[in-house]
Amino acid sequence: MERLKVISGHLLPRGPSEPLRVLRSCGSGSSVPGTGEEVVVVHGRRTAIGKAKRGSFKDTTPDELLSAVMSAVLADVGLPAARLGDVCVGNVLQPGAGALMARVAHFLSGFPETVPVYTVNRQCSSGLQALLNIAGAIRSGSIELGLACGVESMSLRSIGNPGDLSSRLVENDKARDCLVPMGITSENVAERFGVSREKQDAFALSSQLKAAQAQNSGRFDQEIVPVTVSVTDESGRERRLQVRKDEGIRAGTTLDGLSGLRPAFKPDGSTTAGNSSQVSDGAAAVLLGRRSAVEVLGLPVLAVLRGSAVVGVPPDLMGIGPAVAIPAALRQAGLSLDDIDVFEINEAFASQALYCVEKLGLPLEKVNPNGGAIALGHPLGCTGARQVVTLLNELRRRGRRAYGVVSMCIGTGMGAAAVFEFPGPQREEGGRVAGRT
Amino acid sequence: MMATKTFRCPARHGYAVEVSPFVPQRLACAASQYYGITGSGSLFVLDQTETGMVLVRSWEWGDGLFDVAWSEANEHVLVAGGGDGSLQLWDSANQHAPLRVAKEHRQEVYSVDWSQTRGENLIVSGSWDRSVKVWDQDLSRSLTTLQGHEGVVYSTVWSPHIPGCIASASGDGTLRVWDVKAAACRLAVPAHKAEILSCDWCKYDQNLVATGSVDCSVCVWDLRNVRQPVSQLLGHTYAIRRVKFSPFSQTVLASCSYDFTVRFWDFGGSRPLLDTVEHHSEFVCGLDFNLHIPHQVVDCSWDETVKIYSPACLTAAARSAAS
Repeated sequence: MERLKVISGHLLPRGPSEPLRVLRSCGSGSSVPGTGEEVVVVHGRRTAIGKAKRGSFKDTTPDELLSAVMSAVLADVGLPAARLGDVCVGNVLQPGAGALMARVAHFLSGFPETVPVYTVNRQCSSGLQALLNIAGAIRSGSIELGLACGVESMSLRSIGNPGDLSSRLVENDKARDCLVPMGITSENVAERFGVSREKQDAFALSSQLKAAQAQNSGRFDQEIVPVTVSVTDESGRERRLQVRKDEGIRAGTTLDGLSGLRPAFKPDGSTTAGNSSQVSDGAAAVLLGRRSAVEVLGLPVLAVLRGSAVVGVPPDLMGIGPAVAIPAALRQAGLSLDDIDVFEINEAFASQALYCVEKLGLPLEKVNPNGGAIALGHPLGCTGARQVVTLLNELRRRGRRAYGVVSMCIGTGMGAAAVFEFPGPQREEGGRVAGRT
Repeated sequence: MMATKTFRCPARHGYAVEVSPFVPQRLACAASQYYGITGSGSLFVLDQTETGMVLVRSWEWGDGLFDVAWSEANEHVLVAGGGDGSLQLWDSANQHAPLRVAKEHRQEVYSVDWSQTRGENLIVSGSWDRSVKVWDQDLSRSLTTLQGHEGVVYSTVWSPHIPGCIASASGDGTLRVWDVKAAACRLAVPAHKAEILSCDWCKYDQNLVATGSVDCSVCVWDLRNVRQPVSQLLGHTYAIRRVKFSPFSQTVLASCSYDFTVRFWDFGGSRPLLDTVEHHSEFVCGLDFNLHIPHQVVDCSWDETVKIYSPACLTAAARSAAS
């Protein structure tokens, strides 16, 4: 069908033949541009990512971090909190995923009691899951606008208590594999798929260098909300400081230094502190809405959510999640890997991130152009939302219509991915955010 | 703003409209069944009345029709280009069959245009077979075939100033300017990094050409210096299907797009986007200015409608210029 192919090419300039889209446009599908039914991202911000237990946020409670980003996002676009249909917060380590903490943050932000809030825990994808939950509520017609957040204080809470589990789990391989420590799953991926120590260290180095360059050239400045906190130093003295820079980035990282580190999880292993994600504190928030509602309010459209997927993978190889989730999300979006300009793939471990990049055949220059969790850190519940903020800022900087993917692996064996479209430079009517410095 | 007049053509998806150069209220529309992907085509001649639009004449063709142009010599005659690679000459005084059918193109004919310069009476066609052909006014045979585009040809337009000069836009991302007498390409401008679906000449400056592309931008080019566009107009969110310069103002042009909108621009101003018209619910493919009635615009869409309207932004600009 030559004509279908040619016209599809007009709609999807970089995907040579994708007849799905044009057929959808002929009907009255809900994702047709112009119908106003699409879920769009209006705006997003994040805090700096602090080093857990040693960094500037070590004494800061997560509700404070959360409140900083929640209020900043709404203030930037001038949206009263009362307009929000719901608020969803991704969190992993607080008791009950921090349901109480989230409501406290909500009031600390001056949000009215009439606006509801809840939390979600899908481990490392919680921040993205919060976004998908809000998107689902918009799509189902329950709400028009919602705030998706993620927050974690790994200073104040640790991964530890697994909760109450049946003793029968030892009889079930998969159930038992859910208890395999994350570092060992990394070793499993490295061994099973032959990801060498050298490659992992080189990947870690490149993450550090890219992040250092992004930080030095001010690329994170616009997305980071400065947070003023009190820190107690070793001598017990309390001091106030404003945190506006990511703390995990080490510009002086060398391959030599990385290769000298001892394996962290097993003596003959290849996963080290240098090629794994860092333990961190941070928060991020993303404002979503139905396009029609967003346009009525004169809010800008930063991006359009085009597809998403969460998939299951073997628990003892949980790191391969993105390699399965990304194609699933792209299928939903009617796009191919070639259509994507930037992939934000969480670097839980260099082993698994590299495996996914190679398995999918992604060009390295498209992956984490501003570094990833190895350099920036991985505040569990925050990460997904943080990646969305960083991705969309990157696409906006590039200044032309483009697609981006956010993906991560998930403990107990899952992967999540979401596909966003940056529609191109803002139209004049929605330029309110542009005025912010 | 005068109320919009709408003509509905059920099961026919509009591809092109053109206002008659002789009769102010008359226009032609080329449309196709099944979005032009398959099935037949229709050519409508419509007259606008006080209250709406009436069908004067319509013809059916065995394949989709993608473009139409009125004769500049005979008020009853039109030429249309079809999916079967044919050009047909139609006479609105003749009810049934085309006066002549010329089938030389090997693939879809996506553009036709009738020359306007003094002393010439020629037709140009652009095809997916990558060629541009020039024809005499009777379509008895093609006079010249212009080869050079490395992709589908989407748009071919005669210069309103320079005799024997054609601009063409292609899927190869280039805008080309041709000298028909020498049968040679005089200029190839890599105007966009994506397919270019449309081009048009400025009616007041013989050096200005606008292009509309899949990259969602409209660019205005000065052919004397094509290193960068004179203006880049951003706002459409999907590919631009057609661009047309205003017959009344040097710096005003209109564009229609797969984003369902028609946008009006004044590239001479600091805020070039004058207005975004969102009155269609499908891809907008056809667009023309009425030469006789200032500020009146005609468009057609895959939503099975043809619309005539006078956008407020043009009438307001004229008022403020006059005062």
